[in-house]
Amino acid sequence: MTAVICGFSRSPFTPAKKGALSGSRPDDIAAEVIKGLIDKTGLDANLIEDIILGCAFPEAEQGFNLARMLSFLSDLPHSVAGVTINRFCGSSMQAIHDAAGRIAMGAGDAFIAGGVESMTRIPMSGFNPMPNPRLATEMPEAYTNMGLTAENLAAIYEIERGTQENFAVESHRRAANADFSDVIIPITTNSGEVSTDGCIRSDSNSNSLARLKPAFKSDGSVTAGTSSPLTDGAAFVLVCDKEFAIAQGLDILASIESTAVSGCSPEIMGIGPVSATQKALMRAGLSLEEIDVIELNEAFAAQSLAVIEELGLDASKVNIDGGALALGHPLGASGARIVGRAATILAKKDAKIALATMCIGGGQGIATILRKVE
Amino acid sequence: MTLAVQSPQKSVKMQHNGGINKVAVIGSGIMGAGIAAHCANAGCDVLLYDIVPNGAEDRSMIARDAIGRMKKSNPEVLMHPSNSQRIHPVNLEDDLALLGDRDWVIEVVVERLDIKHTIYSNIEEYLSENVILSSNTSTIPRSSLVDGMSPSLASKFLITHFFNPPRYLPLLEIVAGEEVVEDLYHRMSIFASERLGKRVTLCNDTPGFIGNRLGIYFVQRAIAATLDHGFTVEQADAMLGRPIGLPKTGVFALMDLVGIDIIPAVVQSMVDNLPPEDALHEIAGKGEDIIEKMISEGYTGRKGKGGFFRLNTEGGTRIKEARSLVDGTYDTANRRAAFTSAKIGRQGLKRLMTHPDEGAAFVKEILLDTFAYAASLVPEVSEDIAAIDGAMRVGYNWKKGPFEMMDSIGLEWLVGEMVSAGIEIPSFLALAAERGSFYGQEGGEITRLDFSGELIEILTGAEVTTVADIKRRRVKPIRKNASASIWDANDGVLLVEFHSKMNALDPLIMEILLAAVDLSEDDEWKGILIANDSANFCAGANLGLALFAANLGAWSTLEDFIALGQDTYQALKYAEVPVVSAASGMCLGGGCEILLHSDGVVAHSESYIGLVEAGVGIVPAWGGCKEMLARLTDEKLVGLGPMAAPMQAFENIGMAKVAKSAHQAKDLGYLRKRDRITMNRDRVMSDAKSFLLELAQDYSPPSPNVYHLPGPSGLAALKMALNDLAIAGHATPHDLTVVGELAKVLTGGECDHTDELSEEDILALERKAIASLARNELTLARMEHMLAKGKPLRN
Repeated sequence: MTAVICGFSRSPFTPAKKGALSGSRPDDIAAEVIKGLIDKTGLDANLIEDIILGCAFPEAEQGFNLARMLSFLSDLPHSVAGVTINRFCGSSMQAIHDAAGRIAMGAGDAFIAGGVESMTRIPMSGFNPMPNPRLATEMPEAYTNMGLTAENLAAIYEIERGTQENFAVESHRRAANADFSDVIIPITTNSGEVSTDGCIRSDSNSNSLARLKPAFKSDGSVTAGTSSPLTDGAAFVLVCDKEFAIAQGLDILASIESTAVSGCSPEIMGIGPVSATQKALMRAGLSLEEIDVIELNEAFAAQSLAVIEELGLDASKVNIDGGALALGHPLGASGARIVGRAATILAKKDAKIALATMCIGGGQGIATILRKVE
Repeated sequence: MTLAVQSPQKSVKMQHNGGINKVAVIGSGIMGAGIAAHCANAGCDVLLYDIVPNGAEDRSMIARDAIGRMKKSNPEVLMHPSNSQRIHPVNLEDDLALLGDRDWVIEVVVERLDIKHTIYSNIEEYLSENVILSSNTSTIPRSSLVDGMSPSLASKFLITHFFNPPRYLPLLEIVAGEEVVEDLYHRMSIFASERLGKRVTLCNDTPGFIGNRLGIYFVQRAIAATLDHGFTVEQADAMLGRPIGLPKTGVFALMDLVGIDIIPAVVQSMVDNLPPEDALHEIAGKGEDIIEKMISEGYTGRKGKGGFFRLNTEGGTRIKEARSLVDGTYDTANRRAAFTSAKIGRQGLKRLMTHPDEGAAFVKEILLDTFAYAASLVPEVSEDIAAIDGAMRVGYNWKKGPFEMMDSIGLEWLVGEMVSAGIEIPSFLALAAERGSFYGQEGGEITRLDFSGELIEILTGAEVTTVADIKRRRVKPIRKNASASIWDANDGVLLVEFHSKMNALDPLIMEILLAAVDLSEDDEWKGILIANDSANFCAGANLGLALFAANLGAWSTLEDFIALGQDTYQALKYAEVPVVSAASGMCLGGGCEILLHSDGVVAHSESYIGLVEAGVGIVPAWGGCKEMLARLTDEKLVGLGPMAAPMQAFENIGMAKVAKSAHQAKDLGYLRKRDRITMNRDRVMSDAKSFLLELAQDYSPPSPNVYHLPGPSGLAALKMALNDLAIAGHATPHDLTVVGELAKVLTGGECDHTDELSEEDILALERKAIASLARNELTLARMEHMLAKGKPLRN
């Protein structure tokens, strides 16, 4: 049985704290996206098995098994179940993997898979960070600050600050030129409807970035300009069994060829996509040369450049519509965004195979390979 | 001496806001915006008007931009960021009809009579019957402003002259006129006094009113003398600042602050409007060429690229440079320009003026002329010398006004010196010299000499407003030592006054506080009021004492002092009667901890409150950590969970956050929501006493706090955050030690969050942390640096 992606929708991604969605609850944002996605695909909601929701800090407004609450907030039939899962930044890509796995074992035909994060309203590390004191003493790197992991990679791969900044400028340039209007579901807020992304700076340039101070290490090279911004947003895809999708007359964007996760040392968590990608390629029986489209989540410029170098990726195939440096990185939502973007590009362009991959705090990588359905 | 400028009689029962809630400010420049912001601070709804720029899409853009700038201003014009929501941007073309519901409309536009007249005639038809209309002019006489105005409008028209910045300078000069409706001035002055916190001074309609009339004369006289003596600006300022009881900006740095470019216009308008016999004419224009040249070079003062002084930041360091009055070049400022006589100022002005050096001669020349000028202004600018002295104190920050200075010097000697110098003795000064002084004291009340030769009692109101009022009226304190006293403040209230140097906390203060708690157990006392008249309530513990003990290795002395403070503050908290503190100015460290242990606080709006111990390498150990943890939760400033309060307390204390207003102190938890804020410094103590008497009805002491703290798990989280700060370059090595100790206290030590901890447990952790830090050389270096330089050492 083959899992296919039959639709992709997301909210605008807006900067945490000062962005247009900072006053909106994450569950309200996510519910609007789910409603919009179901509407757009035309699927009979009674046929949905489960909402699989990724969220990196599932507490407070993101608590209460948010996925189940979303089934109510999205006006779905009570028969549609909901589960919330957490693999930090990889959460919503994991949601897609879970859906694909369940389809493979015949445990359902249609799944809403995706994620949400309000980094305005639920702080990174949550409201009550209480790390294990023994682990914090014996293996402090388990809890390494994300910015410092990027500094570590910049040092190991000797990635200069200017190189990181050029990469960030290019990400903004591409995002500013891309059209996301077909996938964005406008969100109603107290101060009006929000329908455009808020993090992209079309005027970003290396001169302005060069003026920023290092954000994490006094003598380091990583700045706010070469780090993905804290962001609010939600993204979902509809994952279905291929035959079911055909029978229901759904549009099919791409099929899921293979998936993988893997661990790495936490202090260089940004390199996680390397081994995850290699595993996923092997499982799909593909080589890197056969990949036409690559969506690599840009947690940091240094981290992305390290992955590109280590895997030997063709930079012209990576993030052709810009990445998280420009669009933002709402932790729980980014995985579904890049899988959805990759599937959209496959459906639209003359391309066959796509890879979506991302690094994960704590030292992990996750990867998904998609194929165009002819 | 704290002479309140005469406040309006309260015999007429009047609302505390004078019936003013809705305000319109016309003109959104620096002064207009500042007045609008301060009215918003006072809780008023404000319309801020300005013109419509050519072709603007947003027709109220100018006012809107001004409101935007308020939020970023430094010093902050808003006491709380949310106050900006009370100010609405409007324009003079589309929105005049909105004036209809305004109680007070103040015009703050450019100093041009034609423009002001146009505005008054354009708005008149929209104004309500009970409106007060005023102008903030500093130079145009009221008689010219009302010229051509309808009698009805003129009867509602005042001059209300604010000083810049309106939030921070408490002087408000008001000029009324014979045709003004009787209660109008009273309404305005009650509003300005109670709500805006101003010290209101009624002035006659004379050029420059009181403050600028005398202030500009003084500045011009000083410029003339500086040129005559061939002094440098550093020499002049070094003599005319602190040594004579003026702000350290003296004269030239003061002009830099005010703006060099506005000086010629202000002086010119005085020259144009003053009678020909006025003494200003003799000296006006001195130094004009220098000032014109500076303006043409763009040296307009601090707002520009510099003035008589500038900061040279080339080469990465900040070097203060001074301008030569001879050739206009800049060179490194001489920090040791003062003459020997400058130090003599501490022993009294007369000693300074008689010292045999040229600096003293310079000061004497300026002061003799200024004093003679001041005396010659009575009764022209005001018949009330207390009003004139008060205006110079609160408008120009002089320690004493001219008449108070003259009294302190001795009138007989002064008159003799004036005669020798060929100065004509004004008749009022001659009258005073005959009687011996301008001020006197009768039966505990202060009197002032009137122009007619009568002694008039200065009204401070029926209620006790300052500690000085009590001191004058009572023979003896109930208890007193070198650092603090207990007074009977009437109505069963025990008043504890600190009077140590800088009100620094020492064992003697603790002894007095404990004695007050002991006394209060007697039935006749209803509560304890902690208040003083100083600019700063209390800036913390006596560091010198602590450092002395530490340097001797007298650890038990130091630990006893810590324990004594903890016991004292706990005694205040659990006394059988309520304790209310009257906060104003700086309330830091141990001073902040007194507020945290009080049942209630009445704070002056300009109170700067914070737990700043980390700056000197220690942690709050008189219960500051203990109270902050509980306070944040009780006041619902943090959410739930074992980390919520420790994280916020860690941020407040670890970063030594100081609230920049009483309103901000509520956000940070240094004040409770129920604590009260008073805009007028003179009313803080009486408001605190009223609050105390309210709390005294059915009072029972609070129940002790219990704590559930995260223990080692929370400590791990805080240490991780701290390490990240250090790596990012935001924390020094010793910060890690100090704030690391703080983290141990705030997370509860070796506890689990299912354990219940008591106040005593947290106090023990505070003692442990300070015992360890006091033995650290780097902490001692921080203390030494603070004592020597007055600012924290970043080691």
